[in-house]
Amino acid sequence: MTDELIVEATEVSLAYRRTRHRVSSLKQTAIDTINRRMSYEQFFALQNVSFSIARGETLSVVGRNGAGKSTLLKVIARVLPPNSGRVIVRGHVAPMIELGAGFNPELTGAENIVLYGTLLGRTPKEMKNRIEAIAEWSDLTEHLDIPIRAYSSGMTARLAFATATDVTPDLLIIDEILSVGDADFKAKSAARTQEMMNAGCAVLLVSHDLDAVRRLSSRAIYLDHGIPKLIGSPDEVIENYLSDVAH
Amino acid sequence: MQVYDSSAKQIPVISQIKSIYENRGLLRLLVVRDLTVRYKRSVIGVWWSLLNPLFTTAVMFYVFNTVFKSKLPNGAPFLPYLLSGVLLITLFNQGLTMGADAIATGAGVLTKVYVRPEIFAASASISSAVNFLIGLGPLTIVLLFYHRTPTWHFPMILLVIFFMTLFTTGLSLLLSIAYIYFDDSRSLINIFLTALQYMTPIFYPVSVLGPHTKDVILLNPLTSFLEIFRHEFGNGAISTLRNWEIMVGSSVFAFIIGFYIFSRQWPKVVAKL
Repeated sequence: MTDELIVEATEVSLAYRRTRHRVSSLKQTAIDTINRRMSYEQFFALQNVSFSIARGETLSVVGRNGAGKSTLLKVIARVLPPNSGRVIVRGHVAPMIELGAGFNPELTGAENIVLYGTLLGRTPKEMKNRIEAIAEWSDLTEHLDIPIRAYSSGMTARLAFATATDVTPDLLIIDEILSVGDADFKAKSAARTQEMMNAGCAVLLVSHDLDAVRRLSSRAIYLDHGIPKLIGSPDEVIENYLSDVAH
Repeated sequence: MQVYDSSAKQIPVISQIKSIYENRGLLRLLVVRDLTVRYKRSVIGVWWSLLNPLFTTAVMFYVFNTVFKSKLPNGAPFLPYLLSGVLLITLFNQGLTMGADAIATGAGVLTKVYVRPEIFAASASISSAVNFLIGLGPLTIVLLFYHRTPTWHFPMILLVIFFMTLFTTGLSLLLSIAYIYFDDSRSLINIFLTALQYMTPIFYPVSVLGPHTKDVILLNPLTSFLEIFRHEFGNGAISTLRNWEIMVGSSVFAFIIGFYIFSRQWPKVVAKL
């Protein structure tokens, strides 16, 4: 079933109201309300974005900083609910967005594997059985029982990557290609990512590395101020994006 | 296979409770995490969480017993009366502020991984309930010191803990929204919590109050929680049916309103995190 759609996004929009003066205190809000100076503006982070990703397909998102790329990933990752439009995602999602969010520095490596895996939607029981395999893969077996505040940033990143990619998801969401750890681990994690792609999971990728986008993706979408300007082949989309940036 | 459909109809409160139940594995882990971080890793362990209520009680005992020579009219010893009040108010404060903090400062997790924030509020309330249960140890010792024992019906306090968990979970969801919207709400809530503490009969008995003051104090739901707790544990207070009505009513109300408003507000505030 290669044409099974894992992600279907239809006319997805996300807007939030923000105050003009960016007040965030009760005192200021009260003063502004009394003076009738309270005014809001609608800020569209995403406007009518539609696309789908089939099993085995990789869709890349390109665009300038602040174009809504990360917001789009978060909408698909279910973190941000869209204001209008519809998102359907079928199956297990591995959101590789700032890996390791949810790690607790005071807990040991083993405890963090279970906690992080459970936050990512698996069961604690399942995760307990996977501790050793994950530790071995990330080469941290000897450090399992110490709190991860004693880990180096490379070790933490390895543990996070290994935990997040322990099962092949149906949808892999990648915010920037990972460059964690030393050269060995980099090669290993790249191989694991490729393996997951080959295993037929759908991939949604955000990257500023246009070569990677060209190499990895089957289709690309160009976001400009939250508006999808072009969806098409990676080459076509990148060319369009680059000519915009040049101006 | 799990399917996420952003347009799927969600019934507020019901769907939130369902999702907490479905994620009970995570809920248990979060409670264990809170307790492990607090106890296992600190040198003085369990005593650390008791230090605050015990020290507060010691100070208040000195002030009211030695300086003001306070006596309870029914002749019950003052120290267990005071300690039970401090423990209960600590249960409330901890559950409320830890839950709201967990959500308001949980941006690291909550904006990267899909997880219902309500689970964080519930886990904070449950871990402070565990702390409270630990605090019953010193309370029992103090009772025994005055040649008293907990009542035979003391397991009834589990009901007090249960309703307090509902109460603080609901309120902490509301508070987390305030924390996210307004930076200065933290200092305001501290003023409010201090006022609430004085409006709870922690170090004075309700019976010494004038009729008007009494009415105000009885309106405070925490008064009912505390009177029932003391009555059920044997610390010189009588609980009335009215106390039970207020405790059950206010906690169920806070729980439903908190969850309902949170389900409406969260989609708007999550983008601000």
